[in-house]
Parts: sequence; C-alpha cells; structure tokens
Amino acid sequence: MILAIFVTLGVHLATHAFLGVAGYEDSLTYDSVIGRYRALSTMLTLGVLLVAASYHGLYGLRNIVLETRWGAQRARLVSTATGLLGIVMVVWGMRTIVLTAGGS
Amino acid sequence: MDSAVVAIEKSNPPRRGTPVLWAFRPPVHLERLALLAQRVSGLAILVYLFFHIFVTGTVTEGRGAWESTMDTLSNPLMHLGEWLVVVAVTFHAVNGIRVLLLELTPLVGRPARPDYPYEAQSLGRGQHSLLYVAMLMTSLAGLAGIVILWGL
Repeated sequence: MILAIFVTLGVHLATHAFLGVAGYEDSLTYDSVIGRYRALSTMLTLGVLLVAASYHGLYGLRNIVLETRWGAQRARLVSTATGLLGIVMVVWGMRTIVLTAGGS
Repeated sequence: MDSAVVAIEKSNPPRRGTPVLWAFRPPVHLERLALLAQRVSGLAILVYLFFHIFVTGTVTEGRGAWESTMDTLSNPLMHLGEWLVVVAVTFHAVNGIRVLLLELTPLVGRPARPDYPYEAQSLGRGQHSLLYVAMLMTSLAGLAGIVILWGL
C-alpha cells in the first residue's frame, strides 16, 4: 500500500512538474489534462493512487479519532463513517477517470 | 487478571481525549513532535485529497467548466496552499519511511538493561539522524515547490 502510494504519487507529481509538460501551469491546461487522462498508464496510475491514498488517509483518520475519548465510545460509528467517506471518494474519483477516458 | 494489576490499571487509565496536548507533555523530544507533525500533515493531506478529487472531477463537465475552475483556483492564496501540500507530503513520506525502518529493521536498537538515566533505545542516533534527513528533504521540497509553483 505504502509502496503503491510512493510510486504512483511520484509519477503523478512528475507529470505536473516536468514529465511530458513544460511546467506546472502547462500541466493544468484542459488539453494537457485530457491528453493525460486518455493514456492507459495515467488511468492505471491515478486509479491505484486514488484507492491507496484514500484507504491510507482514512485509516489514519480513523485511528486518530479512535484515540480520543469521543471516538473510543463510538468505534462502530467512526469505522462506518470513514468507510462511507472512502466509498464516496473512490467512486467519485473513478467516475472522473472513466468518464474522461471515455471521451465525455 | 491479578488484582494488583487491575488496581494499577485503574489508577493509571489510558490517557484519552487529548489528540494534541500529549506531544507537549514532558519529556518533550523531537520524536514526539515528529509524531504530531506526522498526524497533522496526514490530516492536511487527507483534506486536500478530498477536495482535489472533487475539483478534478470538473474536467468531466467540459472545457468551460475546467477553465472556470482553474481561473477561480489560480490565485496566490491557492498557490500557498499547494506549496503547503508539497511540504506536508514530503515530510509525511520521509518521516513515514523512518517509522517503517524503526518497525522493520534493527534501527530501533538492541534491547539493553534500563540503567540510569534510562535513555530509550528506540530514540537512538540512527533514527534521529533520519529525522534530520526528513527535515532537510522537506526544506528542499519546499524550495523546489517555490521554483515549480512560482517559476522563480
């Protein structure tokens, strides 16, 4: 999980700084973004990063909240809420990847 | 459970409800502050990730929606926010490697008899220097972020 985040985040940051783009501003133009999203390598990179980073972040949030008195008394609620938040984030991110790759 | 153990546990209940203050209770040392920074940076990155997913989603609504969003977000305050994300991600990543190495390698130090002044083996020089590496790399990433974001 950690290794997946390292690799995919490294590639993601590189594609916004120097990899195939003139610079940060250039990487954010509509044509540049669409061009990248339609490459299979980008779809895979962003898909893996989306799932791994969301899981890692929300699992950490859950642990922090469970350490508080409030969270410890509501462990099931905390787990359910972070799980649902994760589903929303992953579904919305995947929607973006699929729709953009499909030419919407 | 032994009644003496139960009595001790009852007299020393686990401290809960202080997600930040524990870091500043004595003895304060760099590793504690690093743990606090790891958590704060992690939460900051999670908040960024949440908004990033939805902001990026506007690309599905076409060129007009994307360019309008980028125009709204293209201001010095947002650039400062992005720079903070770069700094937070770098510290979180390098400090995370330090913690992984502490767990998975002998970097934590050999167990030793706890003689006065009771210096914890786990706070040894090896991991401590990695903490300095994390701080150095965070500073370098901050400089690189300035160059990339502001083109200096």
